Amino acid sequence: MTSPIRVLLVEDNPGDAELMRDTLESSKLLLEITVAVDGVDALDHVLQRGAHAAALRPELIILDLNLPRMHGHQFLAELRKHEPLRAIPVVILTSSDAEKDIVDSYRLGANCYVTKPMDLVAFQSIVRAVEGFWLTIVKLP
Amino acid sequence: MTDDWQRRAEQPFRLVFEAAPYAILMIDRARTITLINRQGEQLFGYGRDEIVGQPVELLIPERLRAHHPAHVAAYFAEPRERPMDGGRELFGQRKDGSEVAIEIGLSSMELPDGRFTLASIVDITERKRIKDELHRSNAELEQFAYIASHDLQEPLRMVASFTELLGQRYRGKLDERAEKYIFYAVDGAKRMQQLVADLLTYSRVGSQGGPLLPVSADAVVGRVLSTLAGPIRDTQAGFGIGPLPTVLADEPQLGQLFQNLISNALKFRGEAPPRVRIDAQHKDDRWVFSVADNGLGMEMQYADRIFQMFQRLHERGKFEGSGIGLAVVKRIVERHRGRIWLESTPGVGTTFYFTLLPSRARTAA
Repeated sequence: MTSPIRVLLVEDNPGDAELMRDTLESSKLLLEITVAVDGVDALDHVLQRGAHAAALRPELIILDLNLPRMHGHQFLAELRKHEPLRAIPVVILTSSDAEKDIVDSYRLGANCYVTKPMDLVAFQSIVRAVEGFWLTIVKLP
Repeated sequence: MTDDWQRRAEQPFRLVFEAAPYAILMIDRARTITLINRQGEQLFGYGRDEIVGQPVELLIPERLRAHHPAHVAAYFAEPRERPMDGGRELFGQRKDGSEVAIEIGLSSMELPDGRFTLASIVDITERKRIKDELHRSNAELEQFAYIASHDLQEPLRMVASFTELLGQRYRGKLDERAEKYIFYAVDGAKRMQQLVADLLTYSRVGSQGGPLLPVSADAVVGRVLSTLAGPIRDTQAGFGIGPLPTVLADEPQLGQLFQNLISNALKFRGEAPPRVRIDAQHKDDRWVFSVADNGLGMEMQYADRIFQMFQRLHERGKFEGSGIGLAVVKRIVERHRGRIWLESTPGVGTTFYFTLLPSRARTAA
């Protein structure tokens, strides 16, 4: 059980990616965190193509919605089309609290939807909660 | 023509008639135009000789003509003074076929040769244009406020988060002065976050509101009280809630309205536990709601100021909040075409009053 758990962060805001990485790396779990900067980059990652041909499939995806080039929803729809990728749990972490975004995310197969809190401490505890739940409590495929 | 004048009008009436700043025309029961003043000639583009003796429908756009005789008959049957109220937008048709937006006031006259209706007509094209323009620019401003505050939140969150992270990570490794600088930077960013969030809430009242539908105020207040269960328990607040009617409202906004007023009553409480009474009275085809507390109260000279955005009567730190609550309340009431005011006595309490439309009211667009 010493191989790290692979987490893919799909986040175009480098600040948010850094905050998440900072929080996740302070956990006791051994994690391998990769950041994809938009939907297209993320898709290359999970489909192991282009610059990411050698990438390993993530075990958890944390996905922002408002992404350049390919919106989070579109990425999610693509992801769920590919049989071996359908099972990867996806946590939506976004600043949008629009009802439509929430409903659409679950329809497209998101496993949970979390909004980014404004406050750092709240943000950190949310990221820890996501990590605790999905990487410790839950059995992943 | 001249005979008509001598028969129907005395000299003073004629002067007034001709000098009136708006168009006036007179029709008989058969809807024939019997008189028109100079302004009327100008408005519709007809000479007096062309139009007198013609049916009034000549001045009405064809698409609206069919119903007009019935309206005229109804008015002759029950001729009550009908002033221009600024609410009705009607259309007239000029000689050249073009349409003109008008407003009409009606009065009735009994003359020796029968009953006549006198119509005063104002060209509201310009007023309508200004109104539309104002509406458009208000909508744009609202959209601007919404986008600006929404897009400001992200970078602001970065400033606040990383300054705070700096403080977290280097706690104890920096000198006292550096820690103080970090504190002020985080504090400033957080206050700005609150202001931006409040601005967003405020602009959402106008830009993200839903339609006005029949809503039970009783049910809304019940839900708000369960949302506020925590503070109500903490302050040992007591409530008296009269039967509340069904009103025409945007339900989430009505909830926000009551929540803000009730939260205020709990927040600005006196020594005694808060006592809040919520009632509604039917008056002049409106519901007048009242939310009365036994709190701190205030001098009435501040009554207008408290509805302005970011206005606070108390020094910072004494009470939480940025002073957006009542501005949002006022905006919500205004969006519901109501009015809000208050009565307050320092040390005794404050009563907020606001009006809402009954659920069966007509909703003009």
